[in-house]
Amino acid sequence: MNRIILPLLFLAFIVGGVSEKTNAQCKQQVVYQCATNIDKAIYLRDFNTKLRKGKKGHGSGTKWAVVLNKGTHYRFTLCTQGGFESNVILTLFDAKHPEDRKPYQVTKYTGNRKTSNRFDFICNKSGTYYLSIRFKPGKESKKSCAVGILSFVGKNK
Amino acid sequence: MIKKIFSVILVGLFAASFVGCGGKDPDEVDFGDANDFQEDVQQIDENAINGILESFSSPVEMAALIEDLGVPFSKKYLASPEVADDYDTNFKKAIGLGVLSADLGYLNVYAKTGEIVNYLAVIKGIADELNIGQFFDFQTLKRLATNNDNMDSLMFLSVNSFHQMDEHLRKNNRSNLSALVVTGVWMEGLYLATQIAKDDSNKSLRDRVGEQQMILTDLFKILEVYQTQDKNFEKLVKDFQELNKAYEHVSITFVDGVTETVEIDGITVVIQKDSSIVEMSDEQLSNIISVTEKIRNKLISL
Repeated sequence: MNRIILPLLFLAFIVGGVSEKTNAQCKQQVVYQCATNIDKAIYLRDFNTKLRKGKKGHGSGTKWAVVLNKGTHYRFTLCTQGGFESNVILTLFDAKHPEDRKPYQVTKYTGNRKTSNRFDFICNKSGTYYLSIRFKPGKESKKSCAVGILSFVGKNK
Repeated sequence: MIKKIFSVILVGLFAASFVGCGGKDPDEVDFGDANDFQEDVQQIDENAINGILESFSSPVEMAALIEDLGVPFSKKYLASPEVADDYDTNFKKAIGLGVLSADLGYLNVYAKTGEIVNYLAVIKGIADELNIGQFFDFQTLKRLATNNDNMDSLMFLSVNSFHQMDEHLRKNNRSNLSALVVTGVWMEGLYLATQIAKDDSNKSLRDRVGEQQMILTDLFKILEVYQTQDKNFEKLVKDFQELNKAYEHVSITFVDGVTETVEIDGITVVIQKDSSIVEMSDEQLSNIISVTEKIRNKLISL
């Protein structure tokens, strides 16, 4: 009996490990679809993260630093996988506008394909900013992934 | 029987250690070239270094600004892809990868698909030699450039490939190479901006050149970390000291303001009212232009 069970357990162990890895960040197809749905803006980079419910009810997520330049009109777009559009947020902040108090902006889900989970930022101060992607407080859920896209709309005229 | 159970568990744990812990990719090879780098020599908060390197946004942003200002395309600003023929160390390859990726960004922004294929081929060659070619889908990129049918996809794939290559270097203890790639991108962007600023007195461009002082400060700190590992880094740091000196008296001040949020065509637009103000004399700009030109030309002819 053990001859059957043990190899099966072993297989489950390996497959579990593999699926953990493949469920990590969003697949390239998701990133591509998000990056090419930015309405005439130029894709600059993406921020790809896995999301899962944290131990104390806090959702996991990731924070990145990004240098933004004065006089530039940027666009931030958030895409998620598997129906989590209204549960995940992208936040833009810096030291003066902390993530948990008065960040520059947080994405909002409105259901409109062109405007939902997206905002523009007209930067007037060159420097390092931060961007995070996390579950909304109280909306932590099972494993998912999300991707943020930073794009260049133009010079601020 | 117990032996069998133990051996199955051991094999399982061994295999899982490869699957679950993000070990090095099987195709990754350590470079043993005497001209190249010693790994793990310096452990000065690698996370901080990686965070800074990652924060420099994109090999296309400077080109996007230049195009948006209405500056006409000129091939004379670009490094020839043939410079890569002489890249015989990883130091030169990493710098070259950055420089040529920034040029590819410039070509992408201006949709010069005829030229793009040459740059793609050379970048793919360098990426393969640095063992990061798996992130650069040359055939798809070439098809997109040749068919000239989907510039958005071409832009996405080429910029995204660049970021994946850079990220792979950082995640696999090769941040020294990532620092060089980022240096190459940044230097080429600054070169493009300063060459155009020679004949164009546009204030946005001038400010952008002046603001590079902030990035230069961070990049310089990172390059200093690696200078004890490699003579080439040491020389690069000396060159950057000259650039630092050119930027020494450029002044950047900050003014506080209250951010405004408006809605335009259904999209929330955040207008930052804090601002940064650059003060740079014509003489300082002229000096920055000439030092940048000197260093960049030295880098591409290493």
